[in-house]
Amino acid sequence: MMTPLAGTAKHDRHRKRARRLGRILFRSGSVSVALNILLFWAVVAVAAPLLSPYDPTTIDFTASLDPSPSAAHWLGTDATGRDLLSRIIWGARTTFLVVPLSVLSAFAVGGVAGMVSAWFGGWTDTIIGRAGDVMLAFPALIVYIILITSFGPSMWNIVLAVTLAYAPGVARLMRAQVLSIKSLEYVLAARAAGEGPLYIMFVEILPNVGTPLIVDLCLRTGYAVILVGTLGFLGLGLPPPTPDWGGMVVEGVNLLTLYPHISLFPAAAVTSVVIACNLLADGLRGLRR
Amino acid sequence: MSKEKVHGYIPDLTGQYRDGRVSRREFIRTATLLGLSAASAYGLAGTIDGIASPAHAQEAKPKGGVLRLETTVYDVKSPAVANTTAHPWIYSQVVEYLTVIGSDNVTRPHLLESWEPSDDLSVWTLRVRDGVTWHSGRAFTADDVIWNLTRLLSDEVGSSMLGLMKGYMLNDVDSGKTDENGKKIITHELWAPNAIEKVDDMTVRLNLKAPQLAVPEHLNHYQAVMLDPAEGGTFDVGSNGTGAFTLTEIEPGRGAVIEAVESYWGEGPYLDKVEFVDLGGGDQAIINALISGQVHGAFQVQPELARILEAQDHLTLYDVTTADTAVSRMRVTEKPFDDPRVRKAFRLAIDPAKACAVAFGPFATPAEHHHVAPIHPEYAKLPEWKQDVEGAKALLAEAGYGDGLEVELTIQQNPPHHLRSATAMQEMLKDAGVTCNINVVPNAQYWDMWTTVPFGTTVWAHRPLGVINLGLAYRSGGAWNESGYSNPEFDRLLTEAEAMPDPEVRRGKMAEIEALMQEDGPIVQTYWRKLLTFYDKKVVGFEMHPTYALFANKLAIRA
Amino acid sequence: MKRILINRIVQFLVILLIASFLLFAVTEFSPGNVAAKILGPYALDSQVRMLTGRLHLDDPLLTRYLRWLATLTGLLPNQLGGDATGLGLTDPRGAQYFGNFGFSLMQGRPIVDVLADRFAHTVTLAVWAIGLTIPISLALGVLAGTTAGSWIDRTITVITVTLTSLPEFVVSVALIFVFSASLGWLPGTSPLAQGDRWSEASQLVLPVAVLVIASSAYVTRIVRSSVVDTLARPFVRTARLKGLSPLRVTFFHVLRNALIAPITVILLQINWILTGVVVVEAIFAYPGIGRLMLEAALFGDLYLIQALTLISLTVAIATQFLGDLAYVLLDPRIRVA
Repeated sequence: MMTPLAGTAKHDRHRKRARRLGRILFRSGSVSVALNILLFWAVVAVAAPLLSPYDPTTIDFTASLDPSPSAAHWLGTDATGRDLLSRIIWGARTTFLVVPLSVLSAFAVGGVAGMVSAWFGGWTDTIIGRAGDVMLAFPALIVYIILITSFGPSMWNIVLAVTLAYAPGVARLMRAQVLSIKSLEYVLAARAAGEGPLYIMFVEILPNVGTPLIVDLCLRTGYAVILVGTLGFLGLGLPPPTPDWGGMVVEGVNLLTLYPHISLFPAAAVTSVVIACNLLADGLRGLRR
Repeated sequence: MSKEKVHGYIPDLTGQYRDGRVSRREFIRTATLLGLSAASAYGLAGTIDGIASPAHAQEAKPKGGVLRLETTVYDVKSPAVANTTAHPWIYSQVVEYLTVIGSDNVTRPHLLESWEPSDDLSVWTLRVRDGVTWHSGRAFTADDVIWNLTRLLSDEVGSSMLGLMKGYMLNDVDSGKTDENGKKIITHELWAPNAIEKVDDMTVRLNLKAPQLAVPEHLNHYQAVMLDPAEGGTFDVGSNGTGAFTLTEIEPGRGAVIEAVESYWGEGPYLDKVEFVDLGGGDQAIINALISGQVHGAFQVQPELARILEAQDHLTLYDVTTADTAVSRMRVTEKPFDDPRVRKAFRLAIDPAKACAVAFGPFATPAEHHHVAPIHPEYAKLPEWKQDVEGAKALLAEAGYGDGLEVELTIQQNPPHHLRSATAMQEMLKDAGVTCNINVVPNAQYWDMWTTVPFGTTVWAHRPLGVINLGLAYRSGGAWNESGYSNPEFDRLLTEAEAMPDPEVRRGKMAEIEALMQEDGPIVQTYWRKLLTFYDKKVVGFEMHPTYALFANKLAIRA
Repeated sequence: MKRILINRIVQFLVILLIASFLLFAVTEFSPGNVAAKILGPYALDSQVRMLTGRLHLDDPLLTRYLRWLATLTGLLPNQLGGDATGLGLTDPRGAQYFGNFGFSLMQGRPIVDVLADRFAHTVTLAVWAIGLTIPISLALGVLAGTTAGSWIDRTITVITVTLTSLPEFVVSVALIFVFSASLGWLPGTSPLAQGDRWSEASQLVLPVAVLVIASSAYVTRIVRSSVVDTLARPFVRTARLKGLSPLRVTFFHVLRNALIAPITVILLQINWILTGVVVVEAIFAYPGIGRLMLEAALFGDLYLIQALTLISLTVAIATQFLGDLAYVLLDPRIRVA
């Protein structure tokens, strides 16, 4: 049960936003570039088995002696003799699995904490807020290094590490957003109508805190790509032989003078995804104005 | 030579060499092992084959100069618990070993003048070298030897000499207490009061609990340096020693400096000073430092980087074929490795030559899954090992794993060749229907689990005799038996082999042991490494040593 | 004002105490037995057990935490030093002093000494990086902000977005590839070892460049948006209407107000450089605390990990605290309130 006034205002707001979204998505050059890059990698990730010329873990025992690009291996092989193109293609799958999973998990945990914190206020708010402060105080990379050297590298540990690091930030943002609309008419109306807090939080508030959170999501996805790559680079990434872009870059660092391709191609792949996420975040910021 | 008391077997050995039944290398090694000095052994061989002894055929080395070498600089305050081969790079220039294994894999007396085993190899008489003095001026005597050996063999000190010599020097003592898991707490003591016996000021006798062939080799264990008893077992800047240098500066993680002493009892020193530089362990940093001439030589260079350095005119490649290896050992107490058919299937699935090439390029030779290297004197050549994927599948099916099998192989993170090697194995196991996941752990972490992980690749350093590794790693209850392997047949054969000073006879026994390892043993083994490094062409007297040992007293530098 | 300050300081200390216990508990999970680590892989059970007992490593967690805290604050002597352990570990300061973190298992030296030179190296890196980041990002940010919408602004924006998207390890690899592997102008590693062919200054160039690229791109964007926001504020319009020259308006009115937000960000960057340089230091083999952290974690050097985490934590909380303080001092609205 809503008052007609609130309903109309909400409807209007949605229409306006949809129009702006359309304008941004289709007119803004940077956003369409970003979407194209992400779409490209998403397709590559999904169709990896069809696209990759070789199995990403099969060793070409002759190529391991000279990993340079050749007719058989367009991007060359890595130092172990595995086709680099195939590994980059399958690496997209790794990235597109681990990163969204980690970010969504961080948003789920942080989002709920933020909402609960803002809605109930008082002691709940204080405790969640202080816990977040303590967690934010830990330098992120050091937390991962300790976590992963203690519990071993695995996909779930990476997801756990990213969640621990990002959830407090997400919670803060969510809390601020919820506070800012908690007292708006339509929420008050729903409250007056006797809706429970869960219904109000998820049905009334959640859809309306969207834009800043989506921008934040894009940015954090970009960071997470960097982070997962960095962990791989430090030798704390996914267990081998899973193709992992960061791990692939580090494999070639010592051989840069002889075979730069081993590092440079996967480095370019990581970079393209991060740039796309940041461009998207930048473009979507327009929604707020 | 007439002064030397000769072991009863030496005349037989000489006959065999004359008849061409043992090689020159084996002759020299066995003769020195039985107490003949290396010079005498080379001399004796020379009387038969007419080849001059190599020791004297050296060019005159220039005096003076400062050498700069790359190595990780560890804290070396307690040599008895040093746990890498880089630790002794620094302390062994100051404090020395009783015996030394040379780059030619021959063991020679060093602070000892000679050793003499009894014919049954259970009493070893060690004669201390005459004329060796500490830097302080005091003579080096039997008391120094006894103090150091006794100390190394006590539980409190924590030296791995304990594990090495436990079988023939110590008894287990049940302390009567149990640990939190209800396991008995075992401590150790010398097996007999006269186990380490002082004969006179210059002679020590070791009375063994069981015959042992490799006592001289064990005395060169990298922790077994002779420290001045007055310093209580620690080592630091200015410590007293018998060596050619004295330590003047050390900062772990950064560098160390040793300076030549006035007079040294042995060869050299030629250099005024050696500076050890710690570049932080990055391979790239080592390459840069060698190319730019910042250091004259490096502890070692990874095989994949040799290509970059070979192009440099001012550098020379030094390499040495060794028995340095890694074995992917299977815990025989864990499923599925409790079934010998599975272990054999894993071996059959692997082509060592291919795995070897991917991991090392030209810097390794294929192994044959039995942990006895072609350069070991008792090595027996078996029929060539052939990969047999179908055979592997059949064995797995027989063992009840016809539908495939999933295992996890744990390896160390560094150097990167471990991963290349494991990846190659993983690929080949896949063809036999085995899914092998690789778990890479930081090196230090691997050493926490090396004796417990079901399937893991463990590095085994070069040891001069095949029987040493076999005794440590595969004998039932062996000190470093990481696979839990326990086979009475194997134990019996090995004990018999260890009591045979004759390489010819021992080789026959080794053929049986090697075949048993291939059939039933707990390891997959694909390579024997060559160790390699690069030195500036100006450096004279360097040889790459199979356990990385550095003899700074023999090094010189041309201006 | 005073109340805010005291409140903040109390919060700072409470968070530090809670976090230090958390970190102590977390590092408990780090695998391996300390005594086994000291003795190496070939030690027998009996030997490890004996050392464990001598180091009191079998006490309960809380006991060890309190002892660690007491040792750190100089109330108790360190367990690891002295003759009792037979390890030959000695500390010239004695066994009991404030800041006693114990010994590094990896290096066998007092942790204070290990930290001292490593920290100095990282500070050198940070001073250069921040020293270059501030002028570069202020200049570019103000330029872009005041010319918002023009081609200059668009160019700066495109470049900064791209640069903030580059992972540090990619920037490092790219710079090494160009300036070291291909051109040979600069060293590819920076171990700062004695007698290097490359001067210490030349070894600093690439690591500093990576840090400057990463942080200045980000700070530039913050400065730009802060300038744009400030320009839209009423007082600027008033100043313009009063007929003040645009330059005067920019420098006297806009900048003062526009820089409040970036100062917090710059403080956070200092924190990031002091605690988050693991990647750059690892790639360039630079002997700072970042690489030390990685080495310690891989080795399982428990006491060193605890010391480093506590220090990073203190730096992180302190910079946050200073950021809040700067905000309070600079923002007239908050000061009035």
